[in-house]
Amino acid sequence: MNFDPRAFDIVQGVGTWLKVMGACAILVLVASLAASFGLGLGGPVRVFRQLFSAIRDISEISLRRVWALAVLTAREAIRRKALLVFGLFAILFMFGSWFLSGGGEKADIQIERHVVFVFTAISWLVLPVVLMLACWGIPEDIKARSIHTVVTKPVRRVEIVLGRMLGFTLITTLVVGVMGVAGYIWIDRQISREAHGQLLCKVPIYGKLSFLDRQGQPASIGINVGDVWTFRSYIEGSTKATAIWDFERLSEASLMPISTKDQGETRGLRVQTGFESFRTHKGVMNSGLLCQLTLVNPATSLRVPLPAFEVAEYRGDANVTPVPATLTYYDSEARKSKTVDLVKDVIADGKLKIEARCLNGEQFLGMARPDMFIRTADRHFAVGFFKALSGVWLQAVVIVMIGVAASCFLKGPIATLMTFAVLIVGQSFRTMIDKIVSGDQLGGGPFESIYRMVTHLNQTVDLDLSKTVTGTIKWTDWISQQGIWLVQQTFPNFSYFGMSPYVAKGFDVDFRAAILPSFAVALAYFIPCVLLGYFALKLRELESK
Amino acid sequence: MNRLTSRQRKLVYLGVIVVLLAPIIILGRPKSGTGATADQGVLAQMRTRYDLGENQLGQVDPTSAAMNLVLLGFRGIAADLLWSQADENEQTKNWAELRANVDAIIMLQPHFVRVWQFQGWNLAYNVSAAWDLVADRFYWVKEGAKFLKKGRDINDKIAQLPYEEGRVLGTKIGRADEWKFYRAYFKKDPNEEAFKGGPDPELNPKGTDNYLAAKDVYLVANELQKARPDTIQMLDVLFRSYPYRSQLNYADALQREGHFDESSQTAWEEGYREWVEKFGQEKFYGPNGPYHLEMSEHDMGDMAEAQGKDVDAFTRWVLQMQNETRYPYWKFRSQAESAKLMVDAHKLIYDGEKQFVKGNLSTARDLLFRGMTLYEQLFAKYEVLTSDDEALEEAMTAVYYWQRILKLEFKPIPAQFPLSVVYANHQGILPLIESRFKRETGQD
Repeated sequence: MNFDPRAFDIVQGVGTWLKVMGACAILVLVASLAASFGLGLGGPVRVFRQLFSAIRDISEISLRRVWALAVLTAREAIRRKALLVFGLFAILFMFGSWFLSGGGEKADIQIERHVVFVFTAISWLVLPVVLMLACWGIPEDIKARSIHTVVTKPVRRVEIVLGRMLGFTLITTLVVGVMGVAGYIWIDRQISREAHGQLLCKVPIYGKLSFLDRQGQPASIGINVGDVWTFRSYIEGSTKATAIWDFERLSEASLMPISTKDQGETRGLRVQTGFESFRTHKGVMNSGLLCQLTLVNPATSLRVPLPAFEVAEYRGDANVTPVPATLTYYDSEARKSKTVDLVKDVIADGKLKIEARCLNGEQFLGMARPDMFIRTADRHFAVGFFKALSGVWLQAVVIVMIGVAASCFLKGPIATLMTFAVLIVGQSFRTMIDKIVSGDQLGGGPFESIYRMVTHLNQTVDLDLSKTVTGTIKWTDWISQQGIWLVQQTFPNFSYFGMSPYVAKGFDVDFRAAILPSFAVALAYFIPCVLLGYFALKLRELESK
Repeated sequence: MNRLTSRQRKLVYLGVIVVLLAPIIILGRPKSGTGATADQGVLAQMRTRYDLGENQLGQVDPTSAAMNLVLLGFRGIAADLLWSQADENEQTKNWAELRANVDAIIMLQPHFVRVWQFQGWNLAYNVSAAWDLVADRFYWVKEGAKFLKKGRDINDKIAQLPYEEGRVLGTKIGRADEWKFYRAYFKKDPNEEAFKGGPDPELNPKGTDNYLAAKDVYLVANELQKARPDTIQMLDVLFRSYPYRSQLNYADALQREGHFDESSQTAWEEGYREWVEKFGQEKFYGPNGPYHLEMSEHDMGDMAEAQGKDVDAFTRWVLQMQNETRYPYWKFRSQAESAKLMVDAHKLIYDGEKQFVKGNLSTARDLLFRGMTLYEQLFAKYEVLTSDDEALEEAMTAVYYWQRILKLEFKPIPAQFPLSVVYANHQGILPLIESRFKRETGQD
């Protein structure tokens, strides 16, 4: 898995949402109008009447009634023994430690395993429970006819949908909250004393990465050393090959208390790296490859080389280079030592360039964008932990919304299957669908694939057809890809909700890369789910079990 | 059709369940108390007799058993998914999750020996090689060994697993490129915080040498192999030689580390005694009847005749087995290593190489030359040494270092020098010696 937090583009997100919502709304409206002609010429009028009535219903929502329904829903969930899930959770945690703790395990591995265990346990227990609750609530009410006692009261259908969603969300909040607190205490108690120091949340400032090749010419990526995983690319030692990070938004506030050999306790930047070593020969086995960082002022091009350090591969926090606020370095051109002020002389308008080079000949250092960051003040482990927990909670809330909406027009088992399918597709098949939609999938779209299969044509060979036929196939594929794109967009992207890797790797959860998109996705599904549930409940025959 | 009410039907089902349960309980009743199998049910007795019960394979882990039951018939699918995840995590260097995947896999397949074998080897050899720092590499070698140790606890009747663990403790730690560090770390773990400057007690509770720890594990493997020889594919003579080879390797490693004192001498003597008196006297069964390795050709003839077997076939087989285990070589070597001439030659060459690294070229040249002279005498005295790879490597390395010194001193290499014939005849191993020289000295 590539751990590379990228900020979510909210403008693009809203744009996509409007496009998908608009397309879906137009499709539904056109289909409804077409179907309404079956009722005669008055049909379309009835469609618009329903629409106006919906606007009235929505504008007259009573929060009091919604809350009352939510409380009833929560009570019903408790009556259905939803809280028994705590029992399973307790059993898991009572025995989990038997299989997780190993004597002398590396601190970071220990933390990662425990955090992943807690989040997996919570997700796996909470999601099926809320899925079942949400999908079976309304169908059971309809079956038992208890919904009549509600709909005959002055309650709007939209309030029933909202009340259900809110009620299950309350239960979800309680379950996730209790499990989260228990999980947090459990991790805190299980982690060995030696590893406790690493139980924190780093707050990184990431830069933009670019490369120079071995001749010193700009390159988009470094060298591929044959690693199957292409996340990192490599720079060759003792050549001009350089990796350059451009940082922005640095200021006096980015300086932290640090400790250096020469200056002792002082203030400065903490530059953390996480490079990978690749050796073409063993070299000096018992020491890491040497790396040198050079600070460059982007405005004045002032270069300040830092002392070389040994790369401690995969050792995370062992690779922190303290950069004091007052730097003394040897200027090889002027042939004398110079002293500069980091904030005034090296950082220009909050911008700083840091270059990394490998010093060992015939050896390579591998790097990706998140492999260098400026580490600002660490936060308490609880901060990241509970932020990541909000991801599980939000995912459960989305499941509740989809489940409730589905249960308004489907029976319990079918609604469960549908919501489960949405969960699985949103969680696991995103990458595959992305490839199909973007056209990166080998062998082209559906029509091209059918042609290739029938004629046994290899995926990598060009189509052996005339230009017109090829063009037609490609065009129909493009059309169908737009359809697949629309379908893909209707499935929630659950990848944002998995925030546990942040905490497991000792980072605070990034707001713009994880929390913001998660809330955006939840909000994006709230409106269509409420509308879908409302219309389904409003238009369906409640006597039909 | 059916006149029974729902409740009545349920009661009927319950009754049928109870009726069916009774014979299952009677037939499959497990043994109670410590007595013989008399009070066991027939099925349970048969299970014991034919070694069919899960507990016959080793310990039964309750969590693992519970997990397999919960998965119903999906154990295979779950295991497949975990294998593919483990693969993905290894490729993407997600080590913590890889370790968790491996643990989960063995929960599902606790008695699938190949899984233990493969994953133990994967951790000790592949994952360790993916790390850069020697201490980190050692950590993963240990993880591999610990994994195999856990495997043999759960499968305590399988000889293959202690054998694999022995290979990691012995060969991997003692023969990897990083062997000097690994051997030291085995006694003094680099994780000072956790092990307070001592060894990792899980693998080395006695704080002993890695080869001696391996020897203990190999002895366990031999015991299991004796009880169930059919579980091992390897030749029995070869499989059973490992504990004794470990003792010899221990002695050899002491010398590689520059211990030319009583400790190495005692180790060689102990090695000789065990090789000849224990291993050499073990009875093996060949196609022509029982034999042991400590036999001269004359003894072989006598034994074949006494058993009424074809003398040629019998002798051929035993000689072949002696060659497979390099029995005569190790017997001779352990004997010769105790000889003063041999010890002196080793010491001179070892000291010469050390002096070279320190930059004392003339002292190194002198020590190496004297070592080479003694080695030439050894080759003349013990012909078997001329076909011994390790002796040849040591001799060639001495000459290589000596010639490098002459080059550095701008002196010509004489046409004739001690071991010149050996050096000329074994140019094929020079690349190996060059790369070792580069590694040891940091020079090109």
